[in-house]
Formats: sequence, C-alpha cells, structure tokens
Amino acid sequence: MVSKTEETQLNRLENQVDNGGGGAWEYLCLVRKLKVRRSEKVLKYGLSILNDLKKRSGLGSEEWTLYEQVAIAAMDCQSLDVAKDCIRLLRKAFPESKRVGRLEAMFLEAKGSWAEAEKAYSSFLEENPLDQVIHKRRVAMAKAQGNISGAIEWLNKYLEIFMADHDAWRELAEIYVSLQMYKQAAFCYEELILSQPTVPLHHLAYADVLYTLGGLENLQTAKKYYASVIDLTGGKNTRALFGINLCTSAIGQLVKGRNKEDKESLELQSLAATALEKDYKQRAPEKLSLLTTALKSLKVSS
Amino acid sequence: MGGELRYEIAQNAYIKLVLHALKHKTSAVNGILLGRVSPQNDVVEIIDSVPLFHSHIGLLPQLEISLILIEEHFAAKGVSIVGYFHANERFDDHELGGIAKNVGDHINRYLPQAAILLLDNRKLEALSKTKDRSPVVQIYTKDASRTWKLVGSDGNQLTIKEPSANVVLLDYISTEKWQDVVDFDDHLDDISKDWLNPELFK
Repeated sequence: MVSKTEETQLNRLENQVDNGGGGAWEYLCLVRKLKVRRSEKVLKYGLSILNDLKKRSGLGSEEWTLYEQVAIAAMDCQSLDVAKDCIRLLRKAFPESKRVGRLEAMFLEAKGSWAEAEKAYSSFLEENPLDQVIHKRRVAMAKAQGNISGAIEWLNKYLEIFMADHDAWRELAEIYVSLQMYKQAAFCYEELILSQPTVPLHHLAYADVLYTLGGLENLQTAKKYYASVIDLTGGKNTRALFGINLCTSAIGQLVKGRNKEDKESLELQSLAATALEKDYKQRAPEKLSLLTTALKSLKVSS
Repeated sequence: MGGELRYEIAQNAYIKLVLHALKHKTSAVNGILLGRVSPQNDVVEIIDSVPLFHSHIGLLPQLEISLILIEEHFAAKGVSIVGYFHANERFDDHELGGIAKNVGDHINRYLPQAAILLLDNRKLEALSKTKDRSPVVQIYTKDASRTWKLVGSDGNQLTIKEPSANVVLLDYISTEKWQDVVDFDDHLDDISKDWLNPELFK
C-alpha cells in the first residue's frame, strides 16, 4: 500500500514532469518502486526517454528496466505496437530470459489470445510452481475474461501457498464484495486483521461488510470495529464516525421496545456525531447544516 | 405505467457521470440521478447527478450515508432521487449486475418510475467517429413483471436535453476534464472535497 507521503511525493513529481520541469526518469523509478498504475504517463514519458538516444544511453543497463516498464504500460493502454517493439528488443538482448518470456505471454493476453497465454503460463508454472507473478497473471486473466468464479478459484489456490500475501487477500475480498458474497468477504478481512492488526483499513472494511450483512449480532460487531478504527486513527476517519451512527441507529430500530438502549452506546453515538460536526465545521462549513440534519435523522427516537 | 414514459437528462448531469467513469477506468463506478416527474406524468426529468463511488461499491454503509445527505440537500430544492447510474468494471461487460439491480430496487421502492442507466462502453468508444447525438448509456426500467428491462433500443426513450451534449463531452474528454470530478468516495476520504462539483462546469 502507498502511504500518504509517498502519494504526495509521486503527485508532485508527476506534476513537475507534466509541466515540462524535468525529472521523468525519477518519476518512472518512483512509479516502479511504489508499484502504482499510471500506465498512460509511463508510456508517454518512458517513450520520450527511449526515443532520445542520448538520454537512453545515459541510463546504462537501466535501459532494459525501462523497456520492460514501458512494454507493460503500453499493453495496459492497448498500444500493442509499442509493446511489441519493446519486447522484441528485450528478447534480442536476453535470448534465454524467462522474464522476457513472461512479457511475451502477457502480450498474448493483451491481444486476447487467451488460450495461448494460458498455455505459456502453465508451462512456466511447471518449471517453477512458486512463481508468484505467473499465478497472479492467471487470476487477472480469468477476471479479464469475465470468468469471476475462475478468478476466485485461482486466487484461493494461490493463497493456499502464499498465505501471507495481503494484497491477494484484499483482492479476493473485493471480488467477493462485488459478487455480494459478504460472508466470504468477511472471512478474508478476518484473515487480514489477524495478520495486520494495526491497519485501520482492514477494520473499516470488515465493519462495512458486517453492516451490509445486517442482523443484530453483525451490527454490534461492526460497531466495535468502527470504534477500533477511530481508536487506530485518532478519531480522524470520517467513514468510521458515520459507521458508528449508522450502527447505533440500526441496532436501535432492531431492539426497539425490547430493552432499554444502554447508555454507553448512545454516548458513543453522540461522541461520534460531535466529532463529525467539529470536523465539518472546520473543513466543510457549507455542508455543516446538512450533516446536522442527517445525523438527527439517525438518532434513535426513544 | 404505459410505454409512453420518457426520460430526459440534462447535459451537465449526463457529462458528470460519464467523466466520473472515465476518471476511474479500471473500476466499476456509480452515481445518483436527481430530478422530478413532470406534472403530466409523461417525462422523468433528470436535472442533476452526483457521482458516488469508485471502490467497494457493493458495501452498504457508504451508500446509506450518501443517499441520506444527497436526498436532504436536494429536497430543499424540490428535487428528488429519480434513478441510478452504473458503469461496469470491464469494458466488454454489458450486463446489468446484481449490485446495480439492488440499488435500483431500493430507489424503485420510493419511485416506481425510477430508471437505471448503464454506461455503454462501445458507444462511448465510437463516439468520436460516429458523431452520435444520443446518450452513450443504456436505460433500464422496471416493467409489470417487476424485473429490470432494457428499453428504447430505438433511442427515443432517453434523450439529452441539449442536443450538442456529446460534442461538449468529447471536448471535455480531450482536455482531460475528468480529472476534476469529485465523488462521494473522495468526500469521505477528505470532506473538504465537494461532491456537488460546483466548479466542474465553470
């Protein structure tokens, strides 16, 4: 995951390059380091370096890294001619390379030659069953073809081997959410919380899934996890503050008349509401009255 | 509801939604349509739109919060929620999915004339060549059998109020105006970002 400071740095650099201030190579290196997807920019600025003999030779052996980066970006932008040229040059420079072989298989994918790409990936995996990138390409390929159940199957197989891959768990959770398979998504987030207990995003996503599932028990658990997000973020997470209000309101409707709402729960709601109002007052004053009305409508009428 | 009901979308409401989808090309996005049903009950006028989300669009809490705030804001202007906009994650996916139908169902409970608009990627891609004047979305409404049906394949069911909207849209695409669109996701991450997009068409 990319941190806020890294993102700010990246955006500042991108801006600089966009406005002709130089630093294209530094920008491309940062994109690689952070593993972010800025294919259009990478293609544009990468090509401008590759097409400039002086700049290109200045890179030394890094030149080939750039060819690879541009090839992948070009495939993402469907600029298949560019990708083809880059891969051809790489193949010439590294006739035996598996890494180039991987690019060639990706090129088959980009062309939509699914069966051929699948064949290539299978043979790579036979040689090296622990190649994570190839495993992930398979998942992506199933997804690209709209074969979502296939993607789930490949991902689950992948996670049996690489249990500690957080991004893969997140991807699986998001696929489940998109299919409205919330119980399965909740399981993925439980795994993530266990392995990274201090990452507030996992707690938040888990609470959101539980709230979506509904039912008294889920709502109560969701509220606890929203509370832990508030704890972990020092009260700075807007979604969690709203979440507390939603949960309290939904729970209140479910238990209405049956038992007295406990005082602590209502106190938590008004604390969250006050925090939201304070934040809106400072940063979005024109929306404050709207927020206040909305929060009132969520107050449990006793 | 006879087959006479028509839908008319204002240029800015339409462009805002398409630009939102272009801003987040690699994920599914959605949005809310706002407007009113004409007094003669023959036209649903879509006057404005609010871009909602580009991540986790299958989750309820963010949707509920946004709907409460949006409804409250527009109620003061005599405008209400009249439909839902959805763009699929994959370019070649032209199906109306489960999440879109569920949100549509929810809105439909309050307004039986509510429609779902689904971005038509093929039409959007071809726009610069075809100079088509009709909207690059498909429209789904609920029929008597209570299922969502694609309607108006002849292109008359949904029209854009301003006939040159697609020309303006193409112009905005070429100047990358989509970068400026703010959705509810952005707002929840940083509340100083305004989901009403007051600066977008200035």
